[in-house]
Amino acid sequence: MNFLAPAALVFAVTIPVVIVFYLLKRKRVVKLVSSTLLWQKFLAETQASSPFQKLRRNWLLLLQILLLALATFALARPYFAAKIKPAHLRVVILDASASMQSTDVSPSRFESARAEALKWVDSLAGRDQMVILQAGAYTEVKQSATSEKAALRRALQSCAASDGPTRLVPALRMAESLVRDQPGAEIHLFTDGAVPELREFENKALPLVFHRIGVRANNVGITALDARANPEDARQRAVYVNVANFSSNQVETELELRLDGRLLETRPLRIGAMEISPQVFITTQPRDGIFNLRLAARDDLACDNEASLVSLLPRPVKVLLVSKGNRLLERALRAAPLVQLSVAQSLTDPAAGFDFVVLDGVVPAVWPRGNLLAFRVPNTNWFESLSQIQAPAIVDWKSTHPLLRYVGFDNVQVVESLTAKTPSWASSLVDSPQAPLILAGELGRQRIAWVGFDPLDSNWPLRISFPIFIANAVEWLNPANVQGGQLLIKAGEAFRLPLLHPETSAQVVLPDGKVREVPLDATANEFVFGETHRQGAYRLRIGTNELVFCVNLLDAAESDNRPRDELRLGQFERVTATTLQRANLEVWRSILALGLFILLTEWWYYHRRTV
Amino acid sequence: MANPLLSPSLLRTLEQFQLLASRRARSSARGERRSRARGQSVEFADYRNYVHGDDFRYLDWNLYGRLERLFLKLYEEERELPVRIFLDASESMTFGEPVKFDFARQVAAAIGYVGLCGFDRVSVIPFPALPPNGQTDPAAWILQSAARGALRAVRGRKSAMQFFQNLAALTAGGPADLNETLRRGALEARHTGLAVVLSDFLDPAGYEAGLTALVGRGFQVDVVQILAPEELTPTTYGDLQLVDSENGAVQEVTFGRFRLKAYQQTVQNFIQRLKEYCQPRGINFFTAASNTSLEDLLLRQLRKAEVWA
Repeated sequence: MNFLAPAALVFAVTIPVVIVFYLLKRKRVVKLVSSTLLWQKFLAETQASSPFQKLRRNWLLLLQILLLALATFALARPYFAAKIKPAHLRVVILDASASMQSTDVSPSRFESARAEALKWVDSLAGRDQMVILQAGAYTEVKQSATSEKAALRRALQSCAASDGPTRLVPALRMAESLVRDQPGAEIHLFTDGAVPELREFENKALPLVFHRIGVRANNVGITALDARANPEDARQRAVYVNVANFSSNQVETELELRLDGRLLETRPLRIGAMEISPQVFITTQPRDGIFNLRLAARDDLACDNEASLVSLLPRPVKVLLVSKGNRLLERALRAAPLVQLSVAQSLTDPAAGFDFVVLDGVVPAVWPRGNLLAFRVPNTNWFESLSQIQAPAIVDWKSTHPLLRYVGFDNVQVVESLTAKTPSWASSLVDSPQAPLILAGELGRQRIAWVGFDPLDSNWPLRISFPIFIANAVEWLNPANVQGGQLLIKAGEAFRLPLLHPETSAQVVLPDGKVREVPLDATANEFVFGETHRQGAYRLRIGTNELVFCVNLLDAAESDNRPRDELRLGQFERVTATTLQRANLEVWRSILALGLFILLTEWWYYHRRTV
Repeated sequence: MANPLLSPSLLRTLEQFQLLASRRARSSARGERRSRARGQSVEFADYRNYVHGDDFRYLDWNLYGRLERLFLKLYEEERELPVRIFLDASESMTFGEPVKFDFARQVAAAIGYVGLCGFDRVSVIPFPALPPNGQTDPAAWILQSAARGALRAVRGRKSAMQFFQNLAALTAGGPADLNETLRRGALEARHTGLAVVLSDFLDPAGYEAGLTALVGRGFQVDVVQILAPEELTPTTYGDLQLVDSENGAVQEVTFGRFRLKAYQQTVQNFIQRLKEYCQPRGINFFTAASNTSLEDLLLRQLRKAEVWA
């Protein structure tokens, strides 16, 4: 047997109180009277003459009737639906992200949010309409605007939390479009507040009602994972892990590393409150495999305690340098690990046998299909127009891009450079006041890094940043790394795989063992699989190939499951968690308190009247 | 000596009254009441044939002149009316403000005085009987005994003052047995007459047997029920433990103003039952609270009911 409100059992203390009332002995006044005959007759007439008597106006009777009425009323569990502001349209957004799986409220935050939303459905009056949106990694309309409570309940019951991050922006954007020009419409967001930036909705006067779900933060999670060759010994693999503690106490736990299910290492961890513990595992990897990391912590959120990674062994990178002669560039390329460099002065074929091509001021007769690193190469297919500038000063560079990792452009002077307006497929990595000097991006499925100037027209090759840039470029442009990156996706994101040959069907085995058959269009040149709600290893069979890709949460914002009291919309706007507008506000506690008061009043009145 | 029970003005008023009895006097003593007996008076009753030895003074000589036969004129005998006053002197009569027993003695004094003025024989029978000597103060016992003895038979107006004093000397106490007292009073009476019962009738054993015995014996019965104001309208509320003054019985009751009407209804039912018992048996019934005006009872109610005229 369970109790909806076990705290109400505390009212059992009223039972001994009543017993004490009855235990109190009534002190009678002894009085000598002439005869008790009349009193005996009086008692006989009033008490035993008839099983019923005429109903008299008696305050005690009225109080007891009132008490019983209140008790009955309370047992009926009344609630005030009218306390909510009348709204003709309510858009309910249910956060279905991973953090909503936290179990700090029983059974989980998501179930709690669903129960709360169901109360709002119950309180829907008349022709008021409601829309149900599920906001997970992507927004799903579970129910369009309707007054049908059964349909709304069904829609809510069909919602399920995923292991993915929160993407509230599309949900709010959709909700905004629904409530636009609808006076009195409201957006009810049921979330724990672990949401990304909502700057887009600042100053939009969004009629947002934030229902905060969750009571505490007690979570340790894996927030980052990567596997690379050990920089000190290329034969070994280094697995980088970030374990973050988002609880307010220090946590002691263990981190296990497995390769294809085989336990490699168990490492005890002690992480302070709100701290991140970076861990590096150095291990040998005889073949391609799946690294699996598992935290033994018992916390409120389980889905971030495990992460998997497909680790492919590094293969030699075949690079073709097309140049009229640039020893500095050639040496930099040869210095990069695992590079098998070929040098040519011109290019007349698509260079299909190379992993990527470096064009050093040479315009090829046939543009290669693979990835490209181009120095001072004009290509009208890439840019609308090209111009030349003299002595551009480098004023900014994007150090967060993989190409510019550990690369600085201090004291780098350029004599002249080609420059172009940043096209849509690329982003600017190095900027001069006039125009970008280095661009990088993906055009189709081809990765292109474009440098507008000849390194020999600058002092950049004399700086340490140049060979680092080349090494970064080799890593970024290596198709094997690109593919390896594609094998690690976040929950909720679509898995994409380019198809070299037409296929008719594919089969995906989910982490829980379920099999999904995916029909493919014969003309499709890409396989897309979107059902990646759960973290774990997914096995794909397509044609004769079989590969594994891993789905993880790896989202620090999501693992930080502290319930927020307010949502920030931009820098200044705040939406505070609502406490007043509760649907189905039950009032039986107040009624019970009133009944108890009446009981005491009755007792007091009875004794006052008879004394 | 002043009369401690009745005021002189009331006495003067009462002197004008005479007790009315619907039945003929059956006493053997001569008095001023008509009786079925033949004797000496001015009221002609009948004729009868003269027999040897009759008094010549009662011969009707006019008839003899016409019929030459001797007839004797018969006259009604005027005899006294025995008035027996049963006075409740139990413990329950000591309650009330004024005390019920005082009021009862005043009524007894008034009825007795009217009887004495009418040359009737008045007997006051207080009950319960005195306990045997030795249980109380001997002097008081002797005084009580003497007073009770003197009240057994009083006749003549000149005895009125002594009658009043003896009444005033009576005290009340002890448990009463109304039925037994009335039944014995009915049996002991040699001649029937007027019986007046002055009591609160709060006897657990009831009153029916006693009153029936009096009526059956041939008494003209008048009943005056005297209750204390507190018995009609109690003023003590709360959780009470009531102790019966006569038999010590305990009754627990929770009483408040909200039950006052129910109690008053109970009292009225009790009075009504007594009244309904009396009426079919030709018993005059009166009820009075001890704080009732004595003049109202005597001069209005009793006169209206033709107890006296």
